[in-house]
Amino acid sequence: MSQALSTNQTGTLIPLDYMVLKMRIVSITDETVDTKTFRLEFCDAQQGEAFEFHAGQFGLYSVFGAGEATFCIASSPTETGYIECSVKRTGKVTNELHQCNVGDIIGFRGPYGNWFPIDEMQGKNLLFVAGGIGLAPLNSLIRNCLDLRDQFKDIAILYGARSVDDLVYKERLENWQQRKDVKTLYTVDPGGETPQWQGEVGFVPTVLTKMKPASQNTIVVVCGPPIMIKFVLAALVELGFSRASVYTTLENRMKCGVGKCGRCNVGNLYVCKDGPIFRCSDLEALPNEF
Amino acid sequence: MRSTNVDEQTLYTAQAGWLKSAVDILQGAGVDVMAPVETEPGVVELATVKSSEAVTLDYQNVRLPLKRLFFPITEVVLEFKSQPEGDVDVQSEPLVSETEVVVLGARPCGVAALEALDKVFHWDYDDVRYSARRARTTLISFACTRPDAQCFCTSVGGSPHNTTQSDVLVYLEENGQALMQVCSDKGAKFIEQLRDVVKPAPAGTQPPAPPEVKEKFDPAKAKAWLDEHFESDFWTEVALKCLGCGACSYLCPTCHCFDIVDEANWQAGQRRRNWDCCSHPMFTRHASGHNPRPDQASRCRQRIMHKFKYFPERFGQVACVGCGRCVRACCVGQNLVSILTDIESKAKGGDKADVASTLN
Repeated sequence: MSQALSTNQTGTLIPLDYMVLKMRIVSITDETVDTKTFRLEFCDAQQGEAFEFHAGQFGLYSVFGAGEATFCIASSPTETGYIECSVKRTGKVTNELHQCNVGDIIGFRGPYGNWFPIDEMQGKNLLFVAGGIGLAPLNSLIRNCLDLRDQFKDIAILYGARSVDDLVYKERLENWQQRKDVKTLYTVDPGGETPQWQGEVGFVPTVLTKMKPASQNTIVVVCGPPIMIKFVLAALVELGFSRASVYTTLENRMKCGVGKCGRCNVGNLYVCKDGPIFRCSDLEALPNEF
Repeated sequence: MRSTNVDEQTLYTAQAGWLKSAVDILQGAGVDVMAPVETEPGVVELATVKSSEAVTLDYQNVRLPLKRLFFPITEVVLEFKSQPEGDVDVQSEPLVSETEVVVLGARPCGVAALEALDKVFHWDYDDVRYSARRARTTLISFACTRPDAQCFCTSVGGSPHNTTQSDVLVYLEENGQALMQVCSDKGAKFIEQLRDVVKPAPAGTQPPAPPEVKEKFDPAKAKAWLDEHFESDFWTEVALKCLGCGACSYLCPTCHCFDIVDEANWQAGQRRRNWDCCSHPMFTRHASGHNPRPDQASRCRQRIMHKFKYFPERFGQVACVGCGRCVRACCVGQNLVSILTDIESKAKGGDKADVASTLN
């Protein structure tokens, strides 16, 4: 099998001509009733060694016969030899992915898009705010930052989901909670708690307001449903944060991933090339189509 | 319309019967010749021809846009097949045949549209399929002699004699002769191949003046209004008529949105790239059900905004060549030209036009 690779502007290896790299599923974790995390290894070890990405980038994953779907890479660039993606069962491709077993082979092309400004984050306080499956792209960045812990000042994580059952990465959430160098705050929407639930109860923006994070020298990264992002941003502005210090990711529908097919256009931008990571102050200039 | 002077050095005259010779010579050289052919009564398409007898010169324009030669309606990009032990064999579909293609008789507007497509398919990531097809093809345009009431190339920077992206522009003459204007190295090679029937034009030769195409609107003025009116009742007004069928996009020489889908049975299948269209509701619908363009008004707005605002901002030109196909094809009489002239009159009349339209 010929696997032509080319170097794009960002210097990363991407398969040419919509060709995919074959990856084997090596483990599957049930996160919630409808979300699974797949750990994938390159079938061709050489490709695995050549593969590099940055936290925040995405790929197109395919079940042969069902088609391709876009997900962020949820594992950290500091973990090599495999990548992970977390997939909520919602449509044709995600349904087929959920039917897959350990050992099955799927297709992957990527990494595509820009990434979180990790260089700009050095020496700063970091606040991560995530809702539901929105923890997936942040998971990559948080793991990346924790692996390079001494390059950052205070790190705080605020994560919420509709109910205790909807929290993803439960094992990691516990790990982060146990670390002394990370402040964590987990919450579920009112009515989503269980008798055993030790965390907060309340919507993410409300809990954020109560949390009163300091805005000085802090970079915030927000990821979650559009409605949550909207209210989190309002709460942050209220707390004295500037929109320029807040980043988020736009998850538009995509097909090509390389700035051709036109599907992810917002105004004159291609979310797949100019994003998916955007500074919130830059989003204000865009037409409201995301 | 004023015609600009053409460098005489690039002009050649072709003797009567040159078309037959051209087809024969190119055939002999192993070139795939495409030319206008009447495929059904009243419908002319570019098709592969073996002799000049099949070629028709009696056409206003070809029905399908030229883009399909470089960016086909549907094409296979990958083939996959189940293997023993759960493995999958994945093969990239061979790009395109290496055979040289000469198109005799493309229209200048369709060829000019390739300038917009080249920008999309070459920026950042080079679309190898598109590029390979472009590289192997020589485009011999036939100057437009019969613009109709729907044509508006002159409103978007074009002309019936536009040479943009053409390798040779041919001015056909009544007596079977032709004047040829060489526009590129590929064009010079074509003229060289035809050396027995073509000779340099006599001193003082100039192409005829182009037929008149009325200038109907000014894209710069329209853009000034678009810049300020993402939110406007005008979009609802435009959308009320629209069925969202997508005929305008599919026939548009510059529209380039596509879908990538799998077609397969349990053992084997293909991954295909197909033309797609921003008028369809599913185009932007997220898996969560959220749709950034939830109604036809937002989708109609996208079509106009993309062609006359976003594309110019991104790639420095409008994504429209004024061929008029979208106007002719629309089954509910939607008219891009009247949308743009409406916009231009709104731009002139400030907010007054907006008030008038909400009162109607």
